[in-house]
Amino acid sequence: MNRRMRSLHRSMGAVVALFVLMLAITGVFLNHSSEWKLDKQYVTWDWLLQHYGIANVQPDVVYLLDQNVISQFGSQIFVNTNPVTHSERLVLGGIVLDDLIVLATDDALLLLNLEGEFIERMGAAANVPPMIQNIGLFHGEPVIQTLDGLWRSDFLLDQWERVSLQGVGWSLLQSMPDSMEAELAEYFHGKGVTVEQLLLDVHNGRILGQYGVWLLDILGILLLVLSLTGLWIWARRVH
Amino acid sequence: MTVLNREILHIVSKNLLSGILFLIAFSISARGVYQTEQDFLAETFSNNVPKSQVIWMKGDVRQSVDDILGHSYVGLRIRYWRNEQRSAWVLEEIGKTEPITFGVVISNNKIEKVKVLEFRESRGSEIRYPAFTQQFNEAQLTNNQLDRHIDGISGATLSVEAMTVVVKLALYLDKLTSQ
Repeated sequence: MNRRMRSLHRSMGAVVALFVLMLAITGVFLNHSSEWKLDKQYVTWDWLLQHYGIANVQPDVVYLLDQNVISQFGSQIFVNTNPVTHSERLVLGGIVLDDLIVLATDDALLLLNLEGEFIERMGAAANVPPMIQNIGLFHGEPVIQTLDGLWRSDFLLDQWERVSLQGVGWSLLQSMPDSMEAELAEYFHGKGVTVEQLLLDVHNGRILGQYGVWLLDILGILLLVLSLTGLWIWARRVH
Repeated sequence: MTVLNREILHIVSKNLLSGILFLIAFSISARGVYQTEQDFLAETFSNNVPKSQVIWMKGDVRQSVDDILGHSYVGLRIRYWRNEQRSAWVLEEIGKTEPITFGVVISNNKIEKVKVLEFRESRGSEIRYPAFTQQFNEAQLTNNQLDRHIDGISGATLSVEAMTVVVKLALYLDKLTSQ
């Protein structure tokens, strides 16, 4: 019996040792996380951010207008890294008209100033033709393509006339500049994962999700059995 | 389980299911466009809609608008339609989480009509009924406050607040643009 207990104790000890090391090291770091400012240091490894589900921030559309990056994430519209307004409809294009940025959705024009401040939403009630497909400029004048044809207006955008034109400079989709992407990712997800959070998740097993928690539970039981077998062996030796 | 018990269980489960389906149907029906902005304006001005005008939100105007709303107005200008002493306003205000689009008609600085044009929340759409909106008829603004008390609706408190605030805003802007 005693020999069997020793054998069990040794086997479990070997299995548990690595985990105990990991728990001890992360535990010591967590004990001093404030002093060592681990809650202020961030890890931004791609694979880790992906693991935490915060790596990819993909805009629905991006337009570059007068040095400004206009992007839409869901219903939120950004000018550079500033959220400026909401639109349930997708932004289909944008132009710069004098001191205005004009964005087009299928049922309205969204007006911003060059500083990126939201001015107004102009819909059908403001005489903007419905079923817009794109927006562009023709000799400095705004033109919209609708399912019903081409329409041209002036800088006031509240009177539109049907036209037939060639050579309109239509708004085109762009890709998000890398620098902006990083800043927007920070807007959505902060600076990344703090070292403290990472250590805590390793320590409690949550880095592996629900399986990690179960793994730590099993480890706890193994440690319990290890203690009991250790006590058994010690008691036998004393006697 | 006795036959009686089984029958009771059957009736309860059937009614519970009907109740749940009714609630789902009700919450879905609450959302929607009740009247388009164009139809609202056409109705207000008898198909002779005047050219729209804008009022810019700056200086004292912005301050007053923000005070009335209780938060900063998102936008630098507000569009309206005026024909002599009648003006129409299409304004949005958040109810609980989503914006509600209101149409407000003002005649001689008094509320003529308030309508919910589009409701996006799942609850609180009872404010669209004339039984509620008629409380605002003939309402005026005194020191940026309505001259009357508006009775609330249980379960639609935030929607009622949104409509009250929009009515105050429209009255303030009407007064400003009619001078």
